[in-house]
Amino acid sequence: MDWKGTREPADAWHMTDDLHAEHGKGDPFAAAIRATRMSMIITDPRQQDNPIVFANDAFLRLTGYERNEVMGKNCRFLQGPKTDDSAIAKLRAAIDERADISVDILNYRKDGSTFWNALYISPVSNDKGELQFFFASQLDVSDRKRSEHRVTADKERFEKAVKERTSELEAALEAQTTLLHEVDHRVKNNLQMISSLIVMQSRTIKDEATKQSLTTMLERIEALSTVHRRLYQSKDVSRFDVSDFARDLVTDLLTASGRSEIKSTLNLEPIVISAEKAAPVALMVNELVTNALKHAFKEKPDGTMAGRIGIKMSQPDGHFNIEVSDDGVGMADASGEASFGMRLIKSLARQLRADIEWRDAGPGTRVVISMPNEPQQKGNVS
Amino acid sequence: MIEPLKVLIVEDEALLAMELESLVEEAGHSVVGWATSSAEAKSMVDTTDADIAFVDIHLTDGPTGVEVAEYIGEKNNSMVVFMTANPKRIPDHFAGAVGVIAKPYTMNGLNSALRYLQEGVRRPPPSSVRPAGFTLSPAFETVWAPSTA
Repeated sequence: MDWKGTREPADAWHMTDDLHAEHGKGDPFAAAIRATRMSMIITDPRQQDNPIVFANDAFLRLTGYERNEVMGKNCRFLQGPKTDDSAIAKLRAAIDERADISVDILNYRKDGSTFWNALYISPVSNDKGELQFFFASQLDVSDRKRSEHRVTADKERFEKAVKERTSELEAALEAQTTLLHEVDHRVKNNLQMISSLIVMQSRTIKDEATKQSLTTMLERIEALSTVHRRLYQSKDVSRFDVSDFARDLVTDLLTASGRSEIKSTLNLEPIVISAEKAAPVALMVNELVTNALKHAFKEKPDGTMAGRIGIKMSQPDGHFNIEVSDDGVGMADASGEASFGMRLIKSLARQLRADIEWRDAGPGTRVVISMPNEPQQKGNVS
Repeated sequence: MIEPLKVLIVEDEALLAMELESLVEEAGHSVVGWATSSAEAKSMVDTTDADIAFVDIHLTDGPTGVEVAEYIGEKNNSMVVFMTANPKRIPDHFAGAVGVIAKPYTMNGLNSALRYLQEGVRRPPPSSVRPAGFTLSPAFETVWAPSTA
């Protein structure tokens, strides 16, 4: 195994002699190339099939061949079944074009084991520009390639894991959405059934006062139903457009009352409140409007029952204000039902931390409700 | 006085069907049948002569209301209005239906819708204002409410 030492066998000296007179024996540069740990070869493109005409010891150590096994051969014996065809094609193209090339290529040792070769090839021309040799250096970069492969494999594994987790979460979200729709569907159907039960029961009742009570109850339940219908029609179930609701409610109550001589004035800023506040606010507005409809408009001295109900919703900084007004007879006389309605309004106001004020509007009554309404942030409802 | 409507009810909830029937009749119209499943609905479509069918999406045999609407559409003998708590299940083309009354509706909302539909069936396009709880299909929107389309 003396070829592994720095001392060259006789034929190697002969080979360097063959190279060219310019790089002759005793040249310190030639000696350095022979001795360096960097694997290097020189091929002669002027000979048939561009054979190796010089190989240093480092090349032999790297590839496991004896010098006499490589000399005079084309380098392609380093390639094997797993060598990338595109790398070979690049190599071939560079040789044909006499161009520099650096390429990572999978090479085979004599014993069949493989290594990643960071191959650099440069053409060498003489003063006249005639191609003389190709000079090639080889560096074993198997470690680097292994870690590159590991990084790629890790990346693929992570991507796969992320993908799996994402699809799990998507499935969970899908299931949750389905469940929400199912619950929503049931709630709405049940509200509808409650209304139907009250209406059917109401039909069988002869007593006018009891009937009236049931109607009032129906109105309250329908106000809640309308909240539910509107809440789940919107894309964001955590927020509630209270102005749209008020418009619906007033139209519905006015039509239901059959009192076409009563007109409404709606002055509604678009206002969004959190879903939790939707039901109490809706009930409160329902109470105030039905109360006005029932009690405010008595027969006037001129014999008419005409009147006007006004609703104003605004949000001066950080507050949500509702104003329900009528031009009727003034402060409603407190019948039993009305006082329950009043208690309901006051309790709901407490729940909403709202201030409520009855004012004599002369003519009529003006009720002003004012509550804090912090800006609605998505996904963060108080 | 506009001629009253003959109504077919396709609804799996007895309570809702009962109440709808009373309401329809109180408004002066008549109910020609009540079906709870798609099969029942289809045979009633074949044997009755309704002006309008109120069709729930969810019936006793599953979410088959759309299929019923399509069947009625093929027969071309009555208009369809969906009545559902799940309007998102209605396909974009509405299967030829006029529109949808979303549950829970209010009694007055339903009455207003009935009046509106009566005009729509007898003297289209309807002259009353479209009730708040009633949504027109895109196809009918262009015919019945062109100004807002």
